[in-house]
Amino acid sequence: MSDTHASSPSDLKAEVRRAFTPHASATSDAGATTSDLSMDEELNLHSIGWEPVELVSGVSLFSIPYGSWNWGQGEITTASVAHERAFRGAISRLHHEAARAGGHGVVGVHVERVVHSTHVEVALVGTAVRPVGAATTSFDKVFVSDLSARDFTLLMIAGWEPLGLASGASFVFAPRRSMGAVLQQQTQNVELTNFTEAMYSARETAMERMQRAALELDGTGVVEVKVVEGPTRFAMHAVGFVAWGTVVRLAKPEHQMIQPMMVVPLNDPIVAFDAATLA
Amino acid sequence: MSGSVSDLPEAAQRRLTSGAFSSGLSVSDFAACLEMGLTPVGLVQGFCAMQVANYAMGGYTMGGFAQGMSPGGAQGGYVQNYQCPHGMISAEHRMWGQNYQQTWIESAWRDGFNSAYRRMIEEAQALGAHGVLGVVDSVAPLSDTGVVEYHLKGTAVTIVDGPAPSSDVWSTYLAGQRLAKIFEAGYAPVSIIAAVASIRVWASCVTEYLMEGTSFGWSNTGEPTEIDQIVSAQTNARDIARSRARANLHGDALHGASLEVSTREFSRGDLQIESRLRGNRIRRFKDFDPLAVPRPTVRLT
Repeated sequence: MSDTHASSPSDLKAEVRRAFTPHASATSDAGATTSDLSMDEELNLHSIGWEPVELVSGVSLFSIPYGSWNWGQGEITTASVAHERAFRGAISRLHHEAARAGGHGVVGVHVERVVHSTHVEVALVGTAVRPVGAATTSFDKVFVSDLSARDFTLLMIAGWEPLGLASGASFVFAPRRSMGAVLQQQTQNVELTNFTEAMYSARETAMERMQRAALELDGTGVVEVKVVEGPTRFAMHAVGFVAWGTVVRLAKPEHQMIQPMMVVPLNDPIVAFDAATLA
Repeated sequence: MSGSVSDLPEAAQRRLTSGAFSSGLSVSDFAACLEMGLTPVGLVQGFCAMQVANYAMGGYTMGGFAQGMSPGGAQGGYVQNYQCPHGMISAEHRMWGQNYQQTWIESAWRDGFNSAYRRMIEEAQALGAHGVLGVVDSVAPLSDTGVVEYHLKGTAVTIVDGPAPSSDVWSTYLAGQRLAKIFEAGYAPVSIIAAVASIRVWASCVTEYLMEGTSFGWSNTGEPTEIDQIVSAQTNARDIARSRARANLHGDALHGASLEVSTREFSRGDLQIESRLRGNRIRRFKDFDPLAVPRPTVRLT
């Protein structure tokens, strides 16, 4: 998105001098807000009538019983459940912190998650935001989104609204091959279908859980879905699939078409002459 | 972040008064700096090496701290006790656990960081600068003996046709275009803000079993269970750092904050959780100009 607010260099010099003029101050003080947003993001928020309020965080750790990763069949339910509960616990704490700070939502949420063999840790950090000057709201009305403030702005302009963060996780055992199959396949280029099928199984379950979480929030879709998949580092015979994203819903009667403006930037790097391009 | 009597080495004072300027800015940041009417006058730095005590009270034994006698509690920090629900099992069984704030470590960190910051600002003052931009900080162990080095550096600048420099030198982690946008948006940088919180976790039996996944034999049926003691330590580490940073704002805003959390395991059930919050304290100098709704663009490159 482009910023329609522009200043010439001479204006900027005057602004800098003004900024440090003794007793220079604004009549309306924004107050002691904290945020991890860039100034671009803050300006984007202001342009649609929102403002940052407070840097908020939520953490949750859930245990995974010892022995859960031992050889078995099907889904490792305890790990999947621990992951889901840790995610939900961290989101819930973010809701409460944001509501206490006067926020109506949390944007730009950074998701840090670590899966250990005996516990799962999920930590979320983001900036609570609200419509400028809005009164506090209850925690269950606060939305949590991992969209950047810039994407949040674009989403709102397009007539959509974020509803929350949805996630789904599934950890599945790759079935053991028989000794005969191992010996037979050792000298072949061959697909290990047990791993492929385990991955597909984990994928379907995790995606289905994420989409179900989206429906629970009355959403119509999930955007910016992040996917982490592969074998777990402490149990190579098990594969995991984790997906999360922001649940959205149309807030206006219909989608607002955005006509982007085509721009040709004039600050591209200089392209050096290359004889090969003449060929 | 406040200044005090100068402790600049004499050699540094001689160097700073010599003719050529130095700067830590990239060429594009340097150009943006000139566009803003800021003239770089020198690369200023501050160092401080601090010995950090491991246990301030000297009361740590193999059996742990006695309940209610934690160093955190003695110094007024956050303390939370966790009781064993099982009764006396054996000498190895952890009868209680504790989270406590390591206030002496936080104090050492604050002293080290603030000393390095003050020395950097003193160099800027010696150059007659109005502010320091593009600040880069690092905190690194010097050896295995608990010595930590704090190092801050930035580029001191003067304002072209600005007011006479005062002892109140401003500072910011920002430089270049990102700093220009701060001014355009009606904010002036005040100072960098850095806050730290350190929590030690002495796991209770329940926490230990949950972390090791062996709780099913003691307290539950093997269901995933939330590990309250660690969650509380993690939450408080973040809360303390944020409330410290907020206490230094004095009504201004903290912008571009970065919250980093690290966990170190010393031994079984003995953890240290440390959080560091850094950002730019900024102050509004003019009323906010409402912006037009930004128009999306597609770059044809």
